[in-house]
Amino acid sequence: MKIALVGNPNVGKSVIFNALTGSYATVSNYPGTTVEVAKGVWRFGGHVANIIDTPGVNSLNALSEDEKVTCDILRSDIGCIVHVADSKNLKRSLLLTLELAKLGIPLVLCLNMADEARERGIEIDARKLAERLGIEVVETVAVTGEGVSRLKDAIRKARLPHVAIDIIPGKHETVKPQEMMSLVKRTRVAENIAKSVLSVSGNLKASIAEKIGSLTIKPVTGIPILIGVLVFMYFFVGRFAAGTLVDILQEGFFGKWVNPFFIDIADKYIRSNMLKDFLVGDYGIITMAVTYAFAIILPIVTAFFLFFGVLEDSGYLPRLSVLSDRVFKVIGLNGRAILPVILGLGCGTMATLTTRILDTKKERIVVTLLLALTIPCSAQLGVIMGLLGSISLKATILWVLVLLSVLISVGFAASKIVPGERSPFIQELAPIRMPKISNIIVKTFARLKWYLKEAVPLFLLGTTVLFVLDKLWILRWLEKALSPLVVHFLGLPEKITSVFILGFLRRDYGAAGLYAFSKSGALNNIQILVSLVVITLFVPCIAQFFVTVKERGVKVALIIGVFVFLFAILAGGALNFALKHLVEMGVAII
Amino acid sequence: MERSQKIEEALSVIWEEREKKITGRPSVGNSILEKVKEAMLGDLEKDGYVAQGGDSVKLTPVGEAKAKDIIRRQRLAERLLIDVLELGRREMDTSACAIEHILSKEVEESICTLLGHPKECPHGHPIPSGECCAKAKGLLESIVVPLSKLSPGETGKVVYILTAKHPQIHKLMSFGIVPGVSITVHQIFPSYVIKVEETQVALEKEIADEIHVKRMRQ
Repeated sequence: MKIALVGNPNVGKSVIFNALTGSYATVSNYPGTTVEVAKGVWRFGGHVANIIDTPGVNSLNALSEDEKVTCDILRSDIGCIVHVADSKNLKRSLLLTLELAKLGIPLVLCLNMADEARERGIEIDARKLAERLGIEVVETVAVTGEGVSRLKDAIRKARLPHVAIDIIPGKHETVKPQEMMSLVKRTRVAENIAKSVLSVSGNLKASIAEKIGSLTIKPVTGIPILIGVLVFMYFFVGRFAAGTLVDILQEGFFGKWVNPFFIDIADKYIRSNMLKDFLVGDYGIITMAVTYAFAIILPIVTAFFLFFGVLEDSGYLPRLSVLSDRVFKVIGLNGRAILPVILGLGCGTMATLTTRILDTKKERIVVTLLLALTIPCSAQLGVIMGLLGSISLKATILWVLVLLSVLISVGFAASKIVPGERSPFIQELAPIRMPKISNIIVKTFARLKWYLKEAVPLFLLGTTVLFVLDKLWILRWLEKALSPLVVHFLGLPEKITSVFILGFLRRDYGAAGLYAFSKSGALNNIQILVSLVVITLFVPCIAQFFVTVKERGVKVALIIGVFVFLFAILAGGALNFALKHLVEMGVAII
Repeated sequence: MERSQKIEEALSVIWEEREKKITGRPSVGNSILEKVKEAMLGDLEKDGYVAQGGDSVKLTPVGEAKAKDIIRRQRLAERLLIDVLELGRREMDTSACAIEHILSKEVEESICTLLGHPKECPHGHPIPSGECCAKAKGLLESIVVPLSKLSPGETGKVVYILTAKHPQIHKLMSFGIVPGVSITVHQIFPSYVIKVEETQVALEKEIADEIHVKRMRQ
């Protein structure tokens, strides 16, 4: 039997999914976390059911991408639908219940987040609601597990709904006024049912969470809060993780223990120089790939994922759209674009998938381009912050300004060139919640696992490529051949070419190479800044490129790839030129 | 039905048919016959409301003005019944037909002002604008206003949503923003933030302009 979890966005479908299947689908506090359909197995009393977690939908009209995905799933042979609903928004949830009831599939209504409803003085007579709808209704608090076993019982007893919904006329709801009317009628039915089972007691005073929530969206308080969040991130990820932790791991643990240990073993037991170099040489699997992956990148992404998890679960992220809508308007987008952009600071690949929440094709293309060009991913960002932290605050600000101006000018140009429309800004704001430490830890582990699975093979591959290029003298040749570009145009040492080659495979790997390179004292401040700008703007990593192909098509992906590559080099050259001339004129910017 | 009423009905039929791009003499004639139960085109020509001869029915300037008037009154009456008196569709259709004939110019203008000079009837057809609409241009305070006119902390009950874009209405509705619900405005800058039930929604001014609400007195 197939069981589909369906519901409005951000009501906790994935938490229910995890509770039923025991596997893990990412859980956050913002609408649109589930972009890919998750499937899992639920075993009960000798039976096996396939559970499908769907992206949140507000109706079944298949207007948005998410709605299409969910409608398709509902059309395949589904044995039972579990409608996961937000208890505190009963009326709105019932609108969807009524639509689901029309499908003629056994239905269970799961009133989730019952605790939040209780806090607000909202009580629902679940038994009466079950009578009115003719289905099983269960109240749950999925994050604590409350009511989950009752939900399992209810699913086993799932039956076809018996609501007097024949009041809803016509199936064709395409003409505007008619639809208004039929939806108005559906609203009346929903309202009528809600009224008979709801009792709102106590005064609904704004809770502390709500007060914090409104502070985050008012410019006077919201902008300082945003700056505070960014500064905290700089210190936690850039200084603590990329600085202190990486020092301990890279120079201490790997530099003093791991690498000498393996070099020692290699010296003793391996005859072939080639093999020795392959393992522990300049471009060695252990001395380069493993060291970069575990001593530089791992601590940084761990810190970032922890920090980001807190942000996600607090409900803060969608609120940024309120502050940023007017900025995004300039580049032909709306405030909703902030979500993929911010998620891009986590991982560009995931963020490219999240562009699906945007309404028009134009918006998706522009954001995909900006993600490929301007938004550094967590690992890269951490390394970059670590490097910038070692120069000066001025350099950090300059780097941010260069990126912001690229973001706005390229975004502006793209919005003029890419055909299509901007959609108006409408965004649901998730409630501010106290993040649950357990969920953040589970989520961070899941992401780290995913990260290691995806990144480490590419690190190994990249190192092998470099090793082969080096041994065949192609690396020297490339360095020479690209020297006019790298040395004269960008003002960087020849050797840095290898870093850019790594950057082709993964941006963070390139950044890590840069990190190791500059730690050895081979670069001056201008060179560090120029190479940072180039590596930030540089081509998206392979995974992000493939996702771009999948989401936007080969043509768009290739255009984006070529543009980004050329733009990165040009921007780096321009910056190098400007900074050098300023220095000659006696103006030391950094 | 009195003679004058029949003429008004017939003129409104011609107007409505014209909105559907139907002007052929036989089909318009039939529609009139169906509604008024009498062939009226000849009389209308005689009274100077409809141009003589030709294959298509054309209103004369006098007929045009009179038809516009009656359509305006009819659609304003519909809005009044639905938005303010909150009647159902069926009651609306029967009552609006009766009301339109007895509205005086003054009453018509005050209804229009009260409703905030609406631009569309509940069926989605345009309401011809009157003198009061030109004068008002948002200066007069009316009971039904765009959501964007509310200040933070104020509450309004949604009366109708006016937008040409289908997906937009749909999106609003799926957030629970449908006629009849109460909306509280939390913030108006840099974006509008409103609350419907327990859902908080942020939207830009252009959307807030399209949602028309009845201001609730605290």
